[in-house]
Amino acid sequence: MKIHVDHNRCEGHGLCAEQAPAIFALDDEGELIDRSQGADIAADQVAAARAAIGSCPVAALREIS
Amino acid sequence: MKRPTDVPVYREDIYTREAILDPYPHYARLRALGPVVWLDAHRCYAVPRYDECKSVLLDDQTFISGEGVGLGCVANRMSRGTTLNSDGDEHARRRQLLAHRLTPRALRAMRADIEAAADSLAAHAIEHRRVEGVGDLATALPMTIVPDLVGWPEEGRENLLSWAGATFDLLGPTNRQAVSQAANAVGMLRFARRVVRERSQLEGSMGDDVMRAADAGEIPISGCPALLIDYLAPSLDTTISAIASALLLFAQHPEQWDLVRADPSLIPNAVNEVVRFESPLRAFSRKVAGRASVAGTSLREGSRVVVLYSSANRDELAWERADRFDITRDAGRQLGFGHGVHGCAGQGLARLETQSLLAALAPRVKRIELVGDPVWGVNNIIRRLERLPLELVPA
Repeated sequence: MKIHVDHNRCEGHGLCAEQAPAIFALDDEGELIDRSQGADIAADQVAAARAAIGSCPVAALREIS
Repeated sequence: MKRPTDVPVYREDIYTREAILDPYPHYARLRALGPVVWLDAHRCYAVPRYDECKSVLLDDQTFISGEGVGLGCVANRMSRGTTLNSDGDEHARRRQLLAHRLTPRALRAMRADIEAAADSLAAHAIEHRRVEGVGDLATALPMTIVPDLVGWPEEGRENLLSWAGATFDLLGPTNRQAVSQAANAVGMLRFARRVVRERSQLEGSMGDDVMRAADAGEIPISGCPALLIDYLAPSLDTTISAIASALLLFAQHPEQWDLVRADPSLIPNAVNEVVRFESPLRAFSRKVAGRASVAGTSLREGSRVVVLYSSANRDELAWERADRFDITRDAGRQLGFGHGVHGCAGQGLARLETQSLLAALAPRVKRIELVGDPVWGVNNIIRRLERLPLELVPA
């Protein structure tokens, strides 16, 4: 799986970073850092990635195959 | 709208006084009936389970907000012009105008002030030991922050809570509760119109942004009062609800408070769990704008669907031991703030306020004890405590 981030929708609530800290973080300005950069998510991170997608309050994250 | 023959029917009114005070048994029966249920008393569909609530909220092209998110048609007409009550580009434009002021990013500048306010409230409370949880703690914090942020003039603030509560009552069905509060809700609208007319909004506030946007021709001046109410009305009761429910739940579950005290990094998730367990907003609705199907059931175009957030958050299919308060569960996906494009714009602020207060109490308070019966308020939409007599046992 891959993750698509809609940066126009992202408001920086940071719940994804709590769910999947290996993939998402907020920088000092509160901007979202997506370490996956649209690439395939490692198998051991898939569950965390899906939890991050499910927790985004504004639905800015989407799973793509 | 006529009762459909292809969905289970729930005959009881879920907006009676009794049902409002004790809603969870109703929600459990609704969930047991199926993923889509017809509410006979309100002649609309309801989605009581987690998955369908989420999918309805995500499909904002089919399930629209622009014809209102309340149950009664009067409120749905009255709330025209708000961000809550709009779709597509118009919604995005209205949301962009103000929501950026409330993102965690933007709130960074306010964090220190909010933490200091929470700290001083907590210090004061522990000195007294006995406190009224709703008045002294839950209400005090948002009231010191929100009206300034939105830019509501000092004069008129004494009415804010009753006006805001009334505005929510009107978003329920047109029952006795809503009718009794109608004049109060109009009071808020009238005051907001006066603020716009007299330009008495506080400088540098969100209200000021609205007025500037009107001056720049980005929005019509006639749209300003609705936008002021849009952000002010939902920013008080909801947060008061979350803080008060947190205090009650930690009083009832001292072992969970011990967890917080031992590891304050659990606080953000504890706030998610509080909002899951006692969702401050029970439900809003959407209108079916086209061919729609939910969990294999087709819904009639033009009908209304009630999205029961607080039922979704107790759905046994989505949550293990859903009726158990557990701050270590995966509560991040709860739907108490809604979800998708209409997801609560103020949730960052609500989280910050609630987290700050819990963080200020944790080192000082060993136990939170109930010293009287908690009293729940009666409101069609908001579930919040009205009285919460507590004793704070110092650490």
